[in-house]
Amino acid sequence: MHHAFKLEENEYNLELSRGPAGYRLHLADRTIPVNLHLEDDGSAVLTVNGRSEKVLVATRGDDVFIHLGGVAYQLRYEHPLQRLAAQAQGSAEDHVRAPMPGSLVALHAKPGQTVARGESLLVMESMKMETTIAAPRDGVVESVHFAIGQTFDRDALLLSLVAAIVEGKKS
Amino acid sequence: MKPTTNSVPDPAVLEATRSRAASWPFRSVLIANRGEIAVRILRTVQTLGLEGVVVYHAADRKAPAVQMADQAIEITGATPVAAYLDAKQILAAAKSSGAGAIHPGYGFLSENAGFARAVAEAGLVFVGPTPEQIELMGDKVRARAFVEKGGFPVAPSAIEDDDPATFAERALKVPFPLLIKPAAGGGGKGMRIVREPGQLKAELERARSEGQRYFGDGRLYVERYIENPRHIEVQVLGDAHGNVVHLFERECSVQRRFQKIVEETPSPALSPELRKRICETAAGIAREAGYRNAGTVEFIFGAGGAPGTGNGAGNPEFYFLEMNTRLQVEHPVTEMITGKDLVLEQLRVAAGEKLGFTQEQVTSSGHSIEFRIYAEDASRGYTPTTGPVLVLRPPQGEGVRVDSGIVEGQDVTAAFDPMLAKLIVTGRDRTEAIARADKALAEYALLGCITNTAFLRRLLNHQAFVDGAVHTGFLDAHPEIAAQPELTPATLHKLLAASALMTKPMRDVADLVPDMHAAIGSWSN
Repeated sequence: MHHAFKLEENEYNLELSRGPAGYRLHLADRTIPVNLHLEDDGSAVLTVNGRSEKVLVATRGDDVFIHLGGVAYQLRYEHPLQRLAAQAQGSAEDHVRAPMPGSLVALHAKPGQTVARGESLLVMESMKMETTIAAPRDGVVESVHFAIGQTFDRDALLLSLVAAIVEGKKS
Repeated sequence: MKPTTNSVPDPAVLEATRSRAASWPFRSVLIANRGEIAVRILRTVQTLGLEGVVVYHAADRKAPAVQMADQAIEITGATPVAAYLDAKQILAAAKSSGAGAIHPGYGFLSENAGFARAVAEAGLVFVGPTPEQIELMGDKVRARAFVEKGGFPVAPSAIEDDDPATFAERALKVPFPLLIKPAAGGGGKGMRIVREPGQLKAELERARSEGQRYFGDGRLYVERYIENPRHIEVQVLGDAHGNVVHLFERECSVQRRFQKIVEETPSPALSPELRKRICETAAGIAREAGYRNAGTVEFIFGAGGAPGTGNGAGNPEFYFLEMNTRLQVEHPVTEMITGKDLVLEQLRVAAGEKLGFTQEQVTSSGHSIEFRIYAEDASRGYTPTTGPVLVLRPPQGEGVRVDSGIVEGQDVTAAFDPMLAKLIVTGRDRTEAIARADKALAEYALLGCITNTAFLRRLLNHQAFVDGAVHTGFLDAHPEIAAQPELTPATLHKLLAASALMTKPMRDVADLVPDMHAAIGSWSN
C-alpha cells in the first residue's frame, strides 16, 4: 500500500483501483466498491458498498474536506516520497511548531544563539492568553520564521534548531 | 401556511420609521466594527433608507460588510485589531465619508466613554448611551454600589477592609453557603467554600494564611456562594426622554472559558412570576440610571441551595452582576420572540425619538436559541482553527436565521475573535426550536476550516440541555460533550473512499490500468 491519508492523529493506508464495475478501495482487511460523482451544484454523490448519499467535498493542496452526515471532516493525503523523507530526516525536535494559531508577542532567542533545553524561545498569544514556547532540546537557533506581531496557523514552523557544536569536536 | 415565527421588524413599524428617518439628524451611519455585526447593522441602516459606511482593515477586504456597504474606508494599524480600536482614524473616516452618526456594534470601542465623548465633540451622533452611563456601568465597584443604593439585589457580601474589627461578625450575616476570597486574589487561589456557620472561624484563618502565602496579603472578603449558577440577563431599551422598557430575558449559561456559546429566550429556569420579577428589576436599574440606548442587565441566578446545605434551600435568588451598555452578540433571540428590531430602535433613540411602544406593548411569543459558530476545535480544548472558506452552505428553512460575517473565498485567520457567524433558530416552543436547530446545525456546512457545529449538535442533544438543566460550569462538568466521538468503521470507509477519489495522484493511477487488465483482475480476487 503506497498511499495514505491522515485523519486526526491516525494514518490509514489504502489503494485505489478500477474494475469493470467502477472504482475499488483496497484497505488492509477488505476491498470495497466505491464511486464519487460530482454534481453541478458543488455537491457530490458518494457511493460505498452500493449505498449512495449526498456529500460536500473540497480540496486544497493535499487537504481533503468532507461534509458527511452533518459533520465536517478534514483528511490529509500523505505523499509517498514525503513520508519516506520524513522518516529519514532528523528528529521533530529540530522544528519548533505552533501548538495553536496565534501571533508572536516576544522573541527570546535569535539566530546563532545557543539555547538549553527548557529555555524560553518565544512567547505567542492565542485566545487572549500568552503561551511561552521553550526549547525542546539543547541546540543552536538556526532561524526564526516570524516577526513580532505576525500571525500564524497551527503547526506553522516558528523556529528551527540545529545541533550545538560541542567544543573540541570541531572537525 | 402562517409562519410560526415573528417577522423582524414588523413591516408597519419599518415603513413608518423609514418615512420619519428622512428628517433624522443623520442620513448616513458609519459602523465602527467588522464581521457579522457590521453586516447586521448595515442591513437595518440600509433598510431604513440611510447610507451605510464601514471602516475595514485589509485583512477584511473580502468580508461581506465591505461588499455590502455604500462606502467602505480602509484603516490601518499595527495589528488588524488595533485598526478597529483607532478612534482617530475612525473619526477621520466618518468626516471624509459624510457620516452623521457612528454605531460601535459590540466589543472594540462600544464601551469606551472617551470614544463616545470624542464622537459627540466631532459633532456626530453616537449610537449608544451617554459617556457618563458608560463610565458608571464600566466600573464594577461603582456599578454595584449604584445598584445596591437603588434597592436592587446584589450578592450579599462582607469586605474585611470596610471595618476589620467587625469582619467575622458581618461575614456571619451573609447567607450560607458562602465563599471566602483573598482581597488580593485571582485565579481561584485561596478561595474556600463554607457551608456551616460553625466552620467559618477556622476557614477564615486558613484562607488568611493561604492569602498570605500566595499573595503576601492576608486580607479577605466573603460573598454569598451560589451552587451551579445560571447566567440570566435582561434586554432593556431606554430613550432620551426618560422612558425605559425591558424586552424579556435571555439565558446564557452554556459557556466555555467564561464566553457564551448558546443563548436562549425564554429561560427554561424561570417561572412566570420570577421572569416578571427579574425583568422588572432590570428595567428598574436602567430607569434609575436614566439609561438611553439598548442595554443588558446581567444577573447571577441560583435555583436555591441544595437541601440540607443551610439557608436558601429551594428559594430561587438572583443578584446583579453587571450592565453592558451596548448591543449584545445574542440580541437576535430577543428580536425573534418580540418582533422588535433592536438596531432600528437604537437608531430611533439616537435620533432623539421617543420609544415607539410601552412596556405592555412588548410581548413574547415562541422560543429562540442562538448558537455561536466558532472557528475552533472543541476536542482540543476549544483552541482556534484557521483556514480558507472553500465551501460555505448556511442552513435555510422555517425559523432559521443566520447572521454571518463570512463568505466563500475568505480566509479565517488568527487575527480576530474566532466567532464566524450566529445561527438563530426559533420555534413555537423549546422542543420545536431544538428540533429545528439540530437539523440546521447538521446542514451548516463550512469546508476548509474546522468549526464547532458538530460539537454544538452534541451539546444540543445532551439530556441536561434538553431538560434545560444547565449552569455556567456545565461544559466543565461534562467534558465528554467536547470530546471527539469515535468514528464508526462505516463512516471511516466513506471518508477514505471520498478522499481517495478526490486525490488526483490516486485517481490517475487507478485510471491508468487498461480496462482489459482490470477485467482480468476482477477474476483473480
